Amino acid sequence: MLRMRGVSRTYQDGEPVYALRDTDLDVAAGDYVTITGRSGSGKSTLLNVFGLLDVPSTGSYTVGGVETATGGQALRGAIRGQVFGFVFQAFHLLPGRTALENVEIGLLYGPHGRRRRRQLATEALDRMGLSHRMAADPRRLSGGERQRVAIARAVAGEPRVLFCDEPTGNLDSDNTDTVLALLRKLNTSGLTLVVVTHDEAVASEGGRRLQVHDGVVIER
Amino acid sequence: MRRTRHVDLDQGRIRLRIPRLRWADLFVEASLSVLRHPGRSLATVIGTILGAAAFVASLGLGTTLNQQVSSAFDSRRATEVMVQPETGVTSASWLEETALSRLRRLNGVVHAGRRTVLSDRPIARTVDQAATAPSFPVIGADPAAVRVMAPELTVGRVYDDFQERHATPVVLLSEPAARRLSITRAGVAVFLDDRAYTVMGIYRDVARRPEAMAAVIMPYAVATALSDSTAAPDVLIETAPGAAQLISRQAPLALRPEAPADLRATAPPDPRTLRDDVESSVTESTVMISAAALLIGTVSIGNAATAGIAARTGEIGLRRAVGGRRRHIFLQLILETGALGALGGTIGVFLGVLATCVVSLANGWTPVIGISSALAACAVSTVAGMLAGLIPATRAARIPPVQALQR
Ligand SMILES: Nc1ncnc2c1ncn2[C@@H]1O[C@H](COP(=O)(O)OP(=O)(O)OP(=O)(O)O)[C@@H](O)[C@H]1O
Ligand SMILES: [Mg+2]
Repeated sequence: MLRMRGVSRTYQDGEPVYALRDTDLDVAAGDYVTITGRSGSGKSTLLNVFGLLDVPSTGSYTVGGVETATGGQALRGAIRGQVFGFVFQAFHLLPGRTALENVEIGLLYGPHGRRRRRQLATEALDRMGLSHRMAADPRRLSGGERQRVAIARAVAGEPRVLFCDEPTGNLDSDNTDTVLALLRKLNTSGLTLVVVTHDEAVASEGGRRLQVHDGVVIER
Repeated sequence: MRRTRHVDLDQGRIRLRIPRLRWADLFVEASLSVLRHPGRSLATVIGTILGAAAFVASLGLGTTLNQQVSSAFDSRRATEVMVQPETGVTSASWLEETALSRLRRLNGVVHAGRRTVLSDRPIARTVDQAATAPSFPVIGADPAAVRVMAPELTVGRVYDDFQERHATPVVLLSEPAARRLSITRAGVAVFLDDRAYTVMGIYRDVARRPEAMAAVIMPYAVATALSDSTAAPDVLIETAPGAAQLISRQAPLALRPEAPADLRATAPPDPRTLRDDVESSVTESTVMISAAALLIGTVSIGNAATAGIAARTGEIGLRRAVGGRRRHIFLQLILETGALGALGGTIGVFLGVLATCVVSLANGWTPVIGISSALAACAVSTVAGMLAGLIPATRAARIPPVQALQR
């Protein structure tokens, strides 16, 4: 479903930084992939290229058979909005908007109308066990609740692949367990997961474990 | 990219749609961003509010003052006409009573009378002081001409038609002349060319013909008898308000129908032209001030918008991650700064109108505020907001999503 061939990402930052080197990777539907590695090894770079948030310097990357590297902004934006979902360590919830409105932003640029967006957002928050916090400002939510709102935002549009960069990085162990349980459930219901983590407990959740060393990806 | 495209995922094909612009959604997003962050919004528009307020207040006060100034101009200066002979004209028939009564019959003439201005003459308290006496300009004026000049008497009264007809030797002293001669009451005599004149009154100020301010005034018949080669006779006319221009055109014909071109009538500038002059000078300076105020407002909204948008890179990155396109980001931000400009303009206009009214009422003026300046301030503020948002919005739309999402 996701297929990388000879993909690399080099940052031109004075000295070139080879953050991702000549990588061949396939992710099949339903996979639960976890990515580990030391700080600065290139995990986020790999995830961003996978998620089409970043463009590879070389190589070919196809999503469902469509070449993305040459497809242009509009294609990558459409795939990000309609096929992918994202969860970040820093949540990236908008202050001044309710939890429900934050989830709706995940659907804003997709194909659905206003009514349908509200309905999907409500359902997603419901699945995250947050029906009672829908009107709350994220600034008044706990860390765990915030991340569940962020996951609701990522999955409300029923994406096929969910990309998570350190989804439990800002959470204590109880909230980490809650989030991991939610991710497991999403994977069981068919969602493909690609999760970057440096937490061994999170990494061991994955059915497929990748390790990154200085931009080189190794299957474990 | 085409409007739709398919990606084959293992569970089946997904129809991809290029994220389209939905204006209603954009408006909702922009207004939520503005309304849910009142602090940030206020910081952005404070300059615009002040700019628009200054614009409306300066224009409002400008036109209000203008109205004041021109009504002051209208009341006195615009009711005076003076008729003089052209150089070389010797005939005096236009100064005769029949000519003057023709003039007085004109519609719009309030008073009209003869006057002659003589050169400075020494005036003394006693006959023997004549050699060292101070000199004053002597004005001969019949009672009607005195009424046109309208001296403000502090002592005594003005001579009457009987005294004019009989060339009674009487004088009115201006306050400076009375002071020099140490005269404080009517009834005393002064001497001019060894002849005694009774002081009938002392005046402080004149409404018209300021040359009378430091002079002495005597009956026209008395002054002409003094036989002065420099004497320049003229006719002074007080007109009804607004009639000066018309009377100045008709007076020469009324006074000298056989040769009206021999006479030259001068009226103060047309009050309407005068008002236009004042108006345009007031307007020019206020427009400059207002334009500067609005410019400052624009620059400040630009600065604040740049700072406000820079603080939102995370949000912008997120919007890009969930499928937002560059143009969505750009248009939303432009709508936001435009809405903020409109809002700031409206608040500013309100404050400007308030300021104009408060200042006017405190000074007893009638506030005059043009609707057009209020509308212009709102329109300019809106456009200024959009222009101010142009650079930061363009910049924000260019930020790659990865960069925006780095914490
Ligand atoms: N925008 C950039 N410009 C230049 N160098 C970059 C940029 N982003 C990342 N790098 C470099 O690329 C390398 C890989 O970075 P990356 O963020 O992928 O690491 P990571 O494995 O996610 O680290 P961490 O665990 O700390 O998040 C690092 O050496 C980093 O300094
Ligand atoms: Mg990282």
